[in-house]
Formats: sequence, structure tokens, C-alpha cells
Amino acid sequence: MIRLYNIVKDIWDVAALELDRIFHDGGVVLLFCVATLIYPWIFSYAYQNECIRNLPMAVVDDSHSVESRRFASKLDATPEVNICYKCNTIEEAHRLMQQRAINAIVYFPKDYGTRVVTGETARACLFCDMSSFLYYRSVFTAANAVLVDEMQFIEADRYSRAGLSGESRAQLVQPIQVDDVKLYLPNGGFTSFLVPALLVLVLHQTLFLGMCVLYGTTREKRLIVRSVPARLRHQGILYRVTVGRALAYLIIYLPMTAINLLLLPRIFNLPHIGNPMSIVVFVIPFLLAAIFFSMTICSFVRNRDAGIVVCIFFSVILLFLSGAIWPQSNMPRFWLYFSYLFPSTFGIQGFIRINSMAATLSQVKFEYLMLWLQAVVYFFTASGALHYLLHLRSGRHVSERM
Amino acid sequence: MNRFIRSFRRELQQIVIHPRYLLLLTAGLVFSFIFFLTFMREGQPQKLPIAIVDQDGSYLSRRLCHEIDATQGVRVVAVYQNHNQARDAMQRQRIFAFLEIPKGTYNDVLGFKRPHISLYANNAYLLGGSFSYKSLATMTKLASGAVQREILRKKGYSEKAISGLIQPVELDTHAISNPTTNYQPYILTTMLPGIIGVMVLLLTIFQLHHWLQNPYERLHVSGGDLAASIFGKLMPYTLWFSLMGIVGNLVFFGFCHYTMLGSFWMLSLTMLLFIFAVQGMALFLTGLLPEMHMSISIGAIYGMLSFTMSGFSYPAISMPGGMQAFGYIFPLRHYYLAYVDIALYGSGFRQYMPHIIALILFLVPGIIGIRLIRSRLKREGVLDRVEMEALKQQAEQGVLESEIV
Repeated sequence: MIRLYNIVKDIWDVAALELDRIFHDGGVVLLFCVATLIYPWIFSYAYQNECIRNLPMAVVDDSHSVESRRFASKLDATPEVNICYKCNTIEEAHRLMQQRAINAIVYFPKDYGTRVVTGETARACLFCDMSSFLYYRSVFTAANAVLVDEMQFIEADRYSRAGLSGESRAQLVQPIQVDDVKLYLPNGGFTSFLVPALLVLVLHQTLFLGMCVLYGTTREKRLIVRSVPARLRHQGILYRVTVGRALAYLIIYLPMTAINLLLLPRIFNLPHIGNPMSIVVFVIPFLLAAIFFSMTICSFVRNRDAGIVVCIFFSVILLFLSGAIWPQSNMPRFWLYFSYLFPSTFGIQGFIRINSMAATLSQVKFEYLMLWLQAVVYFFTASGALHYLLHLRSGRHVSERM
Repeated sequence: MNRFIRSFRRELQQIVIHPRYLLLLTAGLVFSFIFFLTFMREGQPQKLPIAIVDQDGSYLSRRLCHEIDATQGVRVVAVYQNHNQARDAMQRQRIFAFLEIPKGTYNDVLGFKRPHISLYANNAYLLGGSFSYKSLATMTKLASGAVQREILRKKGYSEKAISGLIQPVELDTHAISNPTTNYQPYILTTMLPGIIGVMVLLLTIFQLHHWLQNPYERLHVSGGDLAASIFGKLMPYTLWFSLMGIVGNLVFFGFCHYTMLGSFWMLSLTMLLFIFAVQGMALFLTGLLPEMHMSISIGAIYGMLSFTMSGFSYPAISMPGGMQAFGYIFPLRHYYLAYVDIALYGSGFRQYMPHIIALILFLVPGIIGIRLIRSRLKREGVLDRVEMEALKQQAEQGVLESEIV
């Protein structure tokens, strides 16, 4: 009983010491508490419009026909694009494109109207700005919707002229009807798709970065040994230091996680159809894995400056590795297995599925178990790293203990 | 000028003596180059996993299944008996979309009863969802067209009339400067300069703080001239990282053949100005926030936001007005806009001049940063001491000279 009390007390002492260390460093507090909250806010605010609306485009109409005008006005009526210019030549429109005044051009050749009337296949051309894929996506969606509508309209007209009407015409126009359902994010919004992934990534990266700053400074000031209470420096009970420190980070990060993953999706009306309990249960191994992972890496980062710089740009790589953007099924094998090293991969995958797709815990079993596995493995590596730093490093640190 | 060169040479010596830092960052950069070049080598996700819920089990449904599997965009990984199985597989992230063919579809087709088939796509994964949706939508349209064709043939229409009836309008889509709608050039050409930018930003802040912790020696080298000392110290990194950026662009436009309609040298110049601009911002942050951890943390936040605010993934025109204006304080935004004008549209200089000027204007915060640092050093009495030492040295030299005379 006393033994247990001792263990708990030791762990708590270390946690208190670590918390003290954290709150004495303004930069670390900024990263842990302010950055964690400010990033999601900025992302949600910047991306709040979800989709692109009213992209300016130009129409070049060489056919001057009723049919081409009908197509253009239908295009203008879509929410995605807005016809701002009517140009006489394609060169003129291209110049506008170069001046970045428009993002797309639709061109009707001379024979467009005649071909529609004579029952041939009429051709129109669409030119699209590729400086951002979302432009392409919006223009393509709008043009495709108009195309389908226009095709059905013309087909119906042609069948009427062939003497078919009513149900028999409908049978020919659309012998098989396709209902499409876009699941989970019916509007296909960019925000709802990306921000949930970023919410998790921000937690992972601020934790790592803050620890990098903290541990780097400790190392720089040669305080590594002194940062561990003397009575806990023995080999057998060193794990209490690891657990105690992890506890300190958990104390800070549990409320942060609750705000980020449970509250923010509701405030910003991001997808939140998941069971909050599942998220809580899922997030615990994620936080543990992230904490022990960061501890391990930070113990080995010799050069704090380089460590921080690498960590920052690695955020982008981690986002891609997580499979939230580029599908996991299409990653090269090597990078897929490489991504398994990072808690963010499973954290992001699991959170998107629980939060945005209402998956149950059993449906994210693989991610959940992998996170526990990571937590355990990184716990041992973190303890090992601490042991190495305290006992195996050369004289300089031994003398520091004096 | 002489003072600047002395400071510059001193920093080069430092780098040669302690190359590990720069080597580490360069290795990180090379790693991310290789990562992005190999990671998305498909260009566009292909053979995405999808499923078919085949309740009909007819000739038509099986044929549709085979034909869908044969397309480039998707592959059928499973055929399920009911909707719930497919939905479960989707939530387990095994498939991105599924097509549901209800019982009696083939019979209904034969009986002209216009059956419904349903297409479900997962939009929570934007890329996987929308690409698999596109492939499946095309295939279902073709299936419908095939049925139409069959009926019209039996009604005795000629092939030409049939194709006019089935497809009255065709839309040729031309994706300007990226004809294969390849994802790589779109991501890489801005992402990698962005990564270099973040690196340079933080590196500069660190370097300046280390410099500030012990400014005597360096100030001494440059004869007490603060600006020359700082410029001389930062210049080796400016040159090195601009070179890295230009080599990266060389790989993109030379080796990978991404579209480059304008002048490569103009883009290289833009890269150089971009690095200068980032360093200007770093100087400003260092001058503004004397505490190292503060400026590093703020620098990290600012650097990470540059990817969002540059507007290459989510266009700035769809952001709220305040955010659009906010975006202009990020050099990456100007680099991206200049890149689009130069490489994708081959526009004239007049078109992208504003972005170039904007990049040059980032030197203003840099100059303000130097002023702030100068007043700080003055307050701490560092500058006076260095000046005194310089004077003393001059006086000694004067004494020496007079002795010689």
C-alpha cells in the first residue's frame, strides 16, 4: 500500500515539476495553449465559405445561336460560375485569362447551333484555369451539370420531332436512372473535409514542437540531469519520471483536445455526426502515443534549432502521409509503412471516420489498436532515451550532477 | 561594402567549421523533395477501390461490374449483397464509393420501366471520393447510352443518327497548362518553396538570436557596422537556399517537364526575392520580440499559416475579405501569384510586376527590424562598447603610424 502511495506520489511530483517547467516558458505556453486554439480558428475562418462560388468566366460565342446562348445562360445560372465577359475572339478571352480577370472560358464554334438543329453532335470547348484545383473542380462541376441538362433537353426535343412523346420518350432519354448520393459531406466542402484532419494534426504538432523547445532548452542549459529529482534517477524506477511527465502533458492536452475535437466542430459547424464518447475513448491512446513519441524524438534531437525547423515543415508531410488528402490506397507501399511510424496518421484517420463518417470504434479497430501499440512502444523508447541521457552519456553530464 | 564582405566571410568560415546545422536542413529539404516527387507519382489517383452492391445478379449487372473494373480510375474490390455491408466497408475506409444495383434492374430495362440505380461516394475524403465518383458517373452514363443505342438500333435508326441522339452535345475540356490534370505540379511548385520559406524564416530567427547573445565578436569583424554585420551573416543562407529553390525548380521544369511558358530566369529571380522577403520578415520578428522563445513560437505560427494563406490550395478569393488582406503579409502568396503568371500563363513582366514589387517591399520590415535591434543594442550599451573599441584600435593604429613616421 505504501509502495503504491510512493509510486503515485513520485509520479505526481514529476508531473508538478514538469508543469512548473512548462509554465515558466512563455514560448512553450504560447505553443501549447494559444497556438493549439488559434490555428483551428484561423483555418475555420479562412475556409468558412467551403466552396468556390461565382467564379468569373468569359464566353466566346462564334455561333450566335439560340442554342449557344441557352447553354451560356444556364452556365451563368449555376452557383459555381458567373459569366462576366462576352468576348468576340478566343484571343481576347485568353488575354483576360492572362490578366487573371477570369478563371474559365467557354467557346462555341461557328457550327454549334447548326449542328444542334440538324441532329448531329455539337461541340463546345471549355478552357479552365489550373492554378488551383478547386477552380477546375468548380468549373468542371458547373459545366458538367449544364451539359447533362442540355443533353436531355435536346434529346427530348429530337425524340419529339421523331414523333415520340410522353413515357416512351422518357424511356429513351434515360433508360437507366442514376441517383447519386454524396455521403457525409453532401456539399463537397473543402473546409469540412480538411479542417477535421488539421484539428488532429495541430494537436500532434504543437505538442511535439513545444516539447522540442522545452527539452532543447534543458539540454542547452545542461539541466537534463537536474530536471529529474535525485531520488528517481535509479534505473528501476525511472519509468515513474516518464509517466509523470506524460501526466503533465495529458493534464494540459486533455482540455485542449476536448475543445479542439469536440467543441470546435460544433462551433464552426464542421461535420460532427460521431459519437462523442467514441472520440474520447479514441483520443486517449492518440494523446499517449503522441506524447511518448515526442518525448523519444526530442530526447535525441541534438540540435534544437534544426529539430524545430524540421518539425515545422514535417507538418505538411505528415498531413499528406495521413491519407486525408491523397488516398492511402494509392500511396507507394514504402510511404504507407513509413506513415505508420507517426501517431498523427492513425489519429487523423480515426478522427475523420468517427467524427465525419459516424464510424463506431469497432470500425476503426485497426487505427485504435495501432495507437495503443505505438503508445506502448514509444513509452519504452522514451524511458530508454531518458535512461541513456541520465546514465550512459559521457563525463560532462556526470559532472553536471555534482 | 568592405565591412559586409568581412562579415560574410566570417559566416562562411563558421559554416565550414560547423557544417552540421546547414547539412541537416539541406538533408531535410532533399528528403521533402524526394518525398513529394515519389509520393504522388501517379499524378492523379488511379484504380481507387470501390464496391458494387449487386442485388440483381443479372447479365447486365455483371457486365457493368466488369466494365467498371476495366476503367483506369477505379477497381472493384468487392461485390456485396446488401447496402449495409457496403456502408460498413466505406466507414472502414476500404472503398471510396459504391454502386447499388437493385433487384430486377435488368428486367426493368428490358421492360422499359426506367429502373433506378444508386451511386454513393464518400466525400469525407475529397480526392478519393470525387475521383471515384467521376469514374462511376461516366460508366453509368455509358451504360445508359448503351441501352439507348440498342433500342434505337432496333427501331431502325442509322448509326450517325443514333450518335447524334445519344450525345447531342460534347464538351471538350482543356485544363490550361496542366493537360493531364496532374496533381503533382499543382502541389509541388508552391509547396516546396513554402517549405524552403519556413526553413529560412526559422533559421534566420535562430541565427539572429544567437548573434544577439554574443554580438561583440561579429560587430567587431564588421567594424561596428550593425547592418553590414547582419547582412553579411544572413547572405550565405540567402544564397544557399535560393540555390536550393532554383535547383528544385530545375528539377520540376527541366526533369519532370511541368509547364513553363515564361522565363525560367524570371522565376529564379522571384525565388531569390522570395528568400530575401522571408528573411526580412524574420528580421522584423526578431527585432519585435526580444525573447527568443517568443519569436520562435510566433515565427512557427506565421510560417505554418503561409501554406494556407498563400491560397494555392484554397483560393484566396473565397476567403473572407479580412483574410484576403491578411494573406498579403505572407511572401509565399506573392511567390505563388508570380509563379502562376510566369509559368502557367507566360504573361509579360507588367502582369507580375506588382508581385515582384511586393516581394521587394518585404525588405521594409527587415529594415525596421534592424532599427529595432540597433536601438536594443544601444540600450544595452553594446554598440557604444564596440565603437569605443574601434576608436581605441584606430587610435592605437594612429600611434603606431606616427611612431613609424
